[in-house]
Amino acid sequence: MASDVERVEEEEESATELLRDRFRLCTISIAEAEAKQNGMEVSQPIVACISDLAFKYAQQLAKDLELFAQHAGRKSVNMEDVILSAHRNDHLAASLRSFCNDLKAKEPQSERKRKKNPKNEDKAAVEVLHIADP
Amino acid sequence: MLGLRSSMEETNTFDPELIRAIFKLVWERRASERERNQLSETETELGPSTTKKTRLTSVNANALKLSCELLRLFVTEAIQRAATIAEAEGSLKIEATHLERVLPQLLLDF
Repeated sequence: MASDVERVEEEEESATELLRDRFRLCTISIAEAEAKQNGMEVSQPIVACISDLAFKYAQQLAKDLELFAQHAGRKSVNMEDVILSAHRNDHLAASLRSFCNDLKAKEPQSERKRKKNPKNEDKAAVEVLHIADP
Repeated sequence: MLGLRSSMEETNTFDPELIRAIFKLVWERRASERERNQLSETETELGPSTTKKTRLTSVNANALKLSCELLRLFVTEAIQRAATIAEAEGSLKIEATHLERVLPQLLLDF
């Protein structure tokens, strides 16, 4: 029994390590691009440190988001939960809000297409006309 | 095709699937912890079948993108603030001391 628990913990640990490494690769490309824009170089240990901090932050964020969603009686995390997690910092929340609006602006197009029945009716009318023409 | 893609995604950010995997791991761990606690409390009265019913938390695609943006902002802010200090000290490379200077406020801001 005890060895079973240990084995599970070991597996979890290796899964975390794998994700941490992949996360670090993403952080390196973001951080180096950002430093370049600022005309700076950045030493590797610093990027690794920022990556570990961001990873911890992501894990904390996961916990927060789950609790927010549960508090709202949902099983699924939505954008409001993410914005709520940044509510202590007005600038950050505003920035996320505008990103959220951008995402929303991209999305509804498909929905609008579906909802716009009048257009389809117009098309149908044109087709009818075409048929009536000859 | 590749050129089109890079022009569409001007700023590189985290891979949403990677962030989903990180979130999932945390949620799975918390769920199994909860289950373990419930089991030890109600071991005698209830079978394990009732506790299995709890579904794992999920996240929708947009919320995931927003989380990626939040984490990206964390990284870029860290670099930008450290770069400001490095510049003030006349250095061209961001070193540990520069990050140390900005770290407390950074952690308070996120």
